[in-house]
Amino acid sequence: MSEIDRGHLPIRRPAFSGVVNRTLQGSQPDWDLIAHPTPPEGAPNVLLVLIDDAGFGNPSTFGGPIQTPNYTRIAAGGLRYNRCHVTALCSPTRAALLTGRNNHAVGFGSVGEFAGGFPGYSATLPRDCAPLPRTLKENGYSTAAFGKWHLTPDGQQGPAGPFDRWPNGWGFDYFYGFLGGGASQWDPCLAENQKIIGTPSEFYDEEHPYYFPDAMADRTIEWLHGVRAQDAHKPFFAYFSTGCSHAPHHVAKQWAEKYRGKFDQGWDKLREETFARQKELGVIPADTELTARDEAFPAWEEVPDKLKAFYARQMEVYAGFSENADHNVGRVIDAIEELGELDNTLIVWIWGDNGASMEGTVTGSFNELTMQNGIPLTDEMQLQLSERYGGLDQWGAAIMDPHYSAAWAWAGNTPFQWGKQVGSHLGGTRNPMVVHWPARIKDAGGLRTQFTHVIDLAPTILELAGIPAPDTVDGITQEPLHGSSFAASLTDGDAPEHRTQQYFETIGNRGMYKDGWWLAMKTARVPWVITPDALKPYAPGVWDPDAGPAELYYLPDDFSQAKNLAAAHPEKVQELKDLFWAEAERYKVLPLLATLSTFFGMVPPIPKETKFEFRGDVQNVLSGMIPRIYNRSYSITADLVVPDGGAEGVIVAEADHLGGFTLYVKDGKLTHTYSMMGVFIFQQVAEENLPSGEVTVRMEFAADAPKPATGGDVTLYVNDRQVGKGRMDHTVPIRFSGYAGMDIGRDNGGVVDRAYEDKKPFAFTGTVKKVVFDIEPHAAAQDELDVHTAEQHGQAAHALSE
Amino acid sequence: MKIDDEATDVLIGGYLSAEAAHEDYEAVLGCGERLWGAVVVSKDLDRTVSLEQSDHTVEEGAAGLAGVGFVVGLFAPPLLAATAIGAALGAVGGKALHKKIGSSVEKMAEETIPIGGAGLIVAYPRSAAGKLEPAVTRAIQKVVGEAEGHHVKALKGALADAEKKMAEESGNG
Repeated sequence: MSEIDRGHLPIRRPAFSGVVNRTLQGSQPDWDLIAHPTPPEGAPNVLLVLIDDAGFGNPSTFGGPIQTPNYTRIAAGGLRYNRCHVTALCSPTRAALLTGRNNHAVGFGSVGEFAGGFPGYSATLPRDCAPLPRTLKENGYSTAAFGKWHLTPDGQQGPAGPFDRWPNGWGFDYFYGFLGGGASQWDPCLAENQKIIGTPSEFYDEEHPYYFPDAMADRTIEWLHGVRAQDAHKPFFAYFSTGCSHAPHHVAKQWAEKYRGKFDQGWDKLREETFARQKELGVIPADTELTARDEAFPAWEEVPDKLKAFYARQMEVYAGFSENADHNVGRVIDAIEELGELDNTLIVWIWGDNGASMEGTVTGSFNELTMQNGIPLTDEMQLQLSERYGGLDQWGAAIMDPHYSAAWAWAGNTPFQWGKQVGSHLGGTRNPMVVHWPARIKDAGGLRTQFTHVIDLAPTILELAGIPAPDTVDGITQEPLHGSSFAASLTDGDAPEHRTQQYFETIGNRGMYKDGWWLAMKTARVPWVITPDALKPYAPGVWDPDAGPAELYYLPDDFSQAKNLAAAHPEKVQELKDLFWAEAERYKVLPLLATLSTFFGMVPPIPKETKFEFRGDVQNVLSGMIPRIYNRSYSITADLVVPDGGAEGVIVAEADHLGGFTLYVKDGKLTHTYSMMGVFIFQQVAEENLPSGEVTVRMEFAADAPKPATGGDVTLYVNDRQVGKGRMDHTVPIRFSGYAGMDIGRDNGGVVDRAYEDKKPFAFTGTVKKVVFDIEPHAAAQDELDVHTAEQHGQAAHALSE
Repeated sequence: MKIDDEATDVLIGGYLSAEAAHEDYEAVLGCGERLWGAVVVSKDLDRTVSLEQSDHTVEEGAAGLAGVGFVVGLFAPPLLAATAIGAALGAVGGKALHKKIGSSVEKMAEETIPIGGAGLIVAYPRSAAGKLEPAVTRAIQKVVGEAEGHHVKALKGALADAEKKMAEESGNG
């Protein structure tokens, strides 16, 4: 076969080199016709592991309190990188990692849920930026992704696609996971390839309940076995992207119990302990200083004694959850070893995509969506709500969707300042990385200090595989990769810095790195506060990005950004400011704060559809795609067939008991239950039994006022006759759930009303022919616009928490 | 001292969990002060109402604390867009004899206690306030009504005062 042109993908099939005559007489076959492209000789398998919402100071491998024996095992056989950088937000890091290009340049200045109207924020991959899995696949790799995706726009996650924004469209042969930013680990609403498959049936097995991290590892191993059963040599690229340690922090009690009492000392002391271990391990320089606590985080000693157990349990569960992730990655590595391929598998394992998440606010929450719906609950309220759902022993179980306190996240980012969303500081931008490849790495257990960024992964993997970045894909000329390979550092600890310059930007927080210097420009806003008042200083015409405080650090002498040198080097500050603006323009970072444009009057058009029809077999409508019933009057009408003797079951249900609604029949009565994020629960029950035959039922909600979270009256009808009524004093203003779906004719996954918990999914025993939502826009156009705008604010806040 | 010899205070506490309300109920009973009575009522996620009471007002000739009225308010958290959720609030008046207190309160709670919520009512002589009120540490919302006069009238007056304050504090006033 002639030399393969890998610069233009897909690789052209070779021309037929045989002979074709009118008959087989004299004809000669060319067996290469049915061959497929193969990678260059020696191209390794690749396992790319990404842990979610975790910090530099979390895993024990880097001095943290969370036991990560598998991470340590791989580090001992490979290399630890202590200057690996991410983007301070979920989707942007993933987009950069999988494309080898800066996140804004590929449309991911923000998260997948929040597709904005500027090129750097469209959440839509440009066709001139083909991602790594596509390149590997076209070059003969088997490719698969497992776990969290978070690169598909919110409203495009159903059977209508478009599927070029789904994992298969990015070049993965196989996908098993969830499309959003987070998922319940007990009853996730999953996708497999191009179909939403909902909650696995094993969820209903009480003896052996489904647990997504276990299933992720199972599916990965099964896929590896399948690939090897078919082809003993074809290299694989497996992207293993855990839902852990993103909220909800779900893990079986025995994992959390390993940490009981381990965090009673509080976050301040925990930082000191972690810092000491980091020095002892040598993963940070001996002269590193521990950065100080910002006043946004309370001191542990200020926490009332009666609440300390509440806070400590939050971290115990997070730690158990994280250790479980290490365990399951270990299972996958064991499977590769058992196949005899560990030596020739390049493992890249990054512990965190944006530092640990501070989005639990100071209190933490029994239900992370309460924060995203703008319901500020005190820690005592949070504690009581957790008691309502079973108490601290159930923190981590399916009955809650917990998130820990921002102060624990800060401790997880030791020795740095801040965390997720703060692109100006290392707490949000520096995470541990371990690289393992025995066939190439001879300095097992070594430490590497080269300044590395996730955009460098793709060029490194391609170089190690001997595959060039393509010049064209599908005939489209490609944007060159922005990353630089660090392959040389695998074999040479003294390899020169491959990256001397890098910009960072997340929600207006900016960093500019060059030749060791780091300019940090953080907005004054506390990361977890996204209220109109907090954003007023950033309004167009008000905010001058250059006028804010600038910090300057010299990282070769100051690993943790503890010594601000800005006052002593104003010329360097100005140089890096100028460089940032140039880079921002080059990589589509502008306009700054595009992520928050809805707060400043730039809202997407109000959708025109007011009627939504669902036939009886529609299930697992993802949470961002349900009818927009929030903050308005609406009705739900269902055409049913009720057999003689009656029927029972769910007609339509959205999400679960921690936020959702359900219209169902039980004991012969039409019933509507509405959970306002698990804080308030409202119920209306018909006063008479449902008749048999063709029946139309209707629930009408009449909003009190055109305002977010409006209360209103509920009326139930059967065949247009009123059969029940009631009040809902508060409604969900923004979003019921980040991950649970809506179902017709049943309530998949965790149920909305626990009155039918023992019958879940409580499928309707008659026939649901059709369910229709009618949304009633507010009469005054300004009212409708105001409500729409408020919803967009909330969606932005929600998105930034994913 | 009998109930009609001293001014009466009534404390109402609102809770998001039965456990928190019960802790305060136990704390009140154990604070070492005299009280006329205390009632804690909760409604769990299955809508089951539970009641516990230590009601001395009947012994003192009053109609029974929980039978006089019952209101539980809950907090009013501001929302993201600078709006406010009103309070989950209900009010039920009525009278009941001591023997019927249990069932009548449960019925009232059915209508007034939010699902998953709980309420605490404590009636006590004003002289006990200094020790008793600090014992209530977990209420999300806590108000104290005051009244003077004849025992039943005083109790009703204090309760009505507390209800009014609770409603005002919850934004429904």
